[in-house]
Amino acid sequence: MSPDEPSLARLMTASQRGDRAAYRALLVGCRRWLERYFARRIAPHQIDDLVQETLVSMHRKLATWDSGRAFLPWLAAIARYRWIDMLRRQRDEAELGDNDAAVGAGDEAVHARLSIDHLLALLPPKQAQAITLVKIEGASIAEASQICGQSESLVKVNIHRGLKKLAELIESE
Amino acid sequence: MKDASIDNLIDDLAGDLAPVRPRRVARGSLWVAAGWVGGAAALVWIFGMRKDLVVHGMPPLSMLAFWLTAATGLAATWSALRMGLPGVGRDYGGWRWAVGASLSLPLAALAACIADGHAAMEAARHGFGLRCLLQGLASGLGVGAALFFWLRAGAPTSPTRAGWVIGIAAGAAGATIVALHCSSDEVVHIAFWHGSAVLLSAIAGRLILPRFLRW
Repeated sequence: MSPDEPSLARLMTASQRGDRAAYRALLVGCRRWLERYFARRIAPHQIDDLVQETLVSMHRKLATWDSGRAFLPWLAAIARYRWIDMLRRQRDEAELGDNDAAVGAGDEAVHARLSIDHLLALLPPKQAQAITLVKIEGASIAEASQICGQSESLVKVNIHRGLKKLAELIESE
Repeated sequence: MKDASIDNLIDDLAGDLAPVRPRRVARGSLWVAAGWVGGAAALVWIFGMRKDLVVHGMPPLSMLAFWLTAATGLAATWSALRMGLPGVGRDYGGWRWAVGASLSLPLAALAACIADGHAAMEAARHGFGLRCLLQGLASGLGVGAALFFWLRAGAPTSPTRAGWVIGIAAGAAGATIVALHCSSDEVVHIAFWHGSAVLLSAIAGRLILPRFLRW
């Protein structure tokens, strides 16, 4: 069953007072919510890592939730920040030539693509193609270069620029 | 495997929980007010207040510039304080309107330059230009520091934007403080030298702060 806003807000209020049982229940609820949130945004093999990073960030920033405001927008802001951070790291990896972010091409991978497609559609086609091939389908830079008909360095540049623009698009969401 | 590691993480985090005091914008506002008043007190104590301020009050043009700059500083401060408490859908952009309104000062200065370039250059050169700029930058440090520490302990989701906004708030605060000391009532002087404190402070905030605001 999906966690609802009033229950999560109640658990968060108790957690800020130091109630560990409430906090544990809150983290379990947030985990479920985050898994669904990220499933529509990133490749499946990255979801668990991002959920863990978000839970740790949430733990460090517990005091920044104001009980007078809704809980889920606060959690979503932290999740989005971690997501952008991951995109930036991928961009830096692309800059360094690290292109081993392979993903299985099963149903899950295809499903994850559906949700990010609307963001990729906002990028120039060559950037979107380079990101799709290397970061989602797991092709090497050399393979992507052959498929796109671009030089390897141009593929890297397109990934770098595309990921930067993706991060900006998400930030302005 | 991953499921187990997330379960373990949840157990660890729950075991590590300690009570926290929720952060309130009102408390951050007090820090900023202390920084603003402290900067003003320091400048007036070291360099003195403009002589006609107590007797006649500020002339209309300087008064208008003062309140436009103060509005920019207050709007940027409010945005920065809110950035420390994140939430998707929250609007942090109020400062842009104040900045837009305060651009009327450089536009007025530009109009003065076009009307009489020589007189405008003399007005800009007259008095204490560079000193006003440096005093403005230094006087805003209290507000800048208060906002920086507030956001560092908070959770700004766009450190780059936070750096800009802290810089604008600090520069605008410094410019209002300098107006208590500077006796020039020339629009060109105010727009160029006092306005440069806001601009340089904003650029410094953008270049220096984001790396320290990431979390």
